[in-house]
Amino acid sequence: MTNLDHGKFTRMTTTFHSLLALDVFALFFTGYALMFNDHLWWLLVLMGGNVGVVAVHRLAGLGLIALVVFWMVMMLITDTGRSNFREIVPTREDVDAFVQDVKFMLGRADERHPNARQFAGYESDEVPLLSYVGKGVVFIFAIELTLLVVSGLLIWSKSGLMQYFATRTAAMAFVVFHGLLGIIMLMGVMFHIFEHGFHPAFYPLETKAFIPRRMIPESHADDADADGTGIEELSLASSWNKVANLMGVLVVIGITSVMTASIVDEGYPVPRELHLEGSPFDLLLTIGINVGIFVLFVGLVLSLYGNVVRRRWERQLREEREGPAATDGGDVSSAED
Amino acid sequence: MAEYELPEDEVSTYGRASILFAAAVSLVVTAVLAWAAAGFDVFYEGLFRVGPTVEGGGVGSDWVAGNTMPALDFLIALIHAADVILGVFILFLVFVHWAAFRRLAAQMRPPGWTRSGTTPDAERTDGGEAE
Ligand code: HEM
Ligand code: HEM
Repeated sequence: MTNLDHGKFTRMTTTFHSLLALDVFALFFTGYALMFNDHLWWLLVLMGGNVGVVAVHRLAGLGLIALVVFWMVMMLITDTGRSNFREIVPTREDVDAFVQDVKFMLGRADERHPNARQFAGYESDEVPLLSYVGKGVVFIFAIELTLLVVSGLLIWSKSGLMQYFATRTAAMAFVVFHGLLGIIMLMGVMFHIFEHGFHPAFYPLETKAFIPRRMIPESHADDADADGTGIEELSLASSWNKVANLMGVLVVIGITSVMTASIVDEGYPVPRELHLEGSPFDLLLTIGINVGIFVLFVGLVLSLYGNVVRRRWERQLREEREGPAATDGGDVSSAED
Repeated sequence: MAEYELPEDEVSTYGRASILFAAAVSLVVTAVLAWAAAGFDVFYEGLFRVGPTVEGGGVGSDWVAGNTMPALDFLIALIHAADVILGVFILFLVFVHWAAFRRLAAQMRPPGWTRSGTTPDAERTDGGEAE
């Protein structure tokens, strides 16, 4: 029995995912240290002040462009890539899965829909490559990243921008637009971290995005005729309850705070309203935004941890294959890489 | 899971409380030292990303003042709306998953469960039990 029934990402995808996460975290830390500088001044100072931050943001921006272009090319030129387009098309089932999730939350359904399932267990064949949330994530992140790249480049080439925008202030409004666009991404990633770090069966990390499918055994002979997902065969980690609840609270605070701040702090270069420095509201917002940054930091650590787990897994597979009694876990009917 | 004993099991280890305490002390001391190094001032770096004499506006004025493009105003209003609508939806998704995770966790074997003595089937509490 294993909970690694999810080997569906190729090595390329797992590597891409890790690099994308690293780069987007760098853009978040730098971009929002600028936009929310009155709440994240310490972050700004740590990253070398505004000169340093702006430079790092642009460098990471270039990295993002490289990653996005690479991905688009891969999806177009490879068969696996093209077949992915079919995997992300939303279907009736996805709507059903969302509705069923709400029912499951309310106790009116006994299990999650296959299109929502992260832990597939014995029934992994029924589970599609991407859950309904996964499809939404792909769409939203793809649109967001494209718009951010375009608007970021437009801001960067100030002279280019001037041709389209009559005044300097208009150009600055465009920076505001760029920052506000990223808020959706920021909130989405906080949820993404919660979803994939704190599922009870996978806690502290769902490895699907980190261990390539070529390294995951395709079936477990002994479970072949079992019914259900088999989740009741797994033991819950003793710290799960506390940690998952804490992270849930932090994620909710983080999302609410950046959403609020995106409205009250939008002004550029000076806020639209006079700042009530030190007011209770301001203090709460400062705490909340810093909580959000902490959630991102947890995500960064988890993403790095995922790569540590992959390394260990690789080593273990190699040892088993070289060892005398190997056969079982090592036989992998390889899919494309 | 491990039926065999690792050497670590025999070695005396540091207690969790002392590790947490030492970590807390070191964080506080470091923060105070950094504060002292900065001359007991709050480290703050003002941002000078834009000249104080913005055409059409001035210090304390907003981009709205000098903006001659209504389209931009509209774009920003639009993205504000998108931020809030999607934000609320994302919050809802967080709650759905949080609740779902709690129900799934209740179906799993509780921490400290052992195979000895009980058959897994008798042990199963079928989702009923939550804390
Ligand atoms: C996940 C992607 C990204 C996020 C979340 C993001 C976020 C931000 C934020 C919050 C700001 C500050 C806005 C303000 O001060 O109100 C900003 C500024 C900026 N961003 Fe991005 N950004 C992203 C991608 C990019 C890319 C791909 C580029 C360019 C290649 C880029 C170039 C810039 C530039 C040039 C600025 C202006 C910095 C300045 O004040 O001089 N960004 N970004
Ligand atoms: C800024 C950072 C990140 C970005 C842009 C990003 C983006 C994505 C995208 C587009 C997908 C595919 C759609 C989906 O299945 O949801 C995905 C999947 C996944 N990500 Fe991330 N991710 C980031 C950070 C993380 C972190 C920190 C973790 C670990 C906690 C993580 C874990 C996963 C997992 C486990 C999957 C597979 C989900 C599944 O399909 O079942 N990601 N990510």
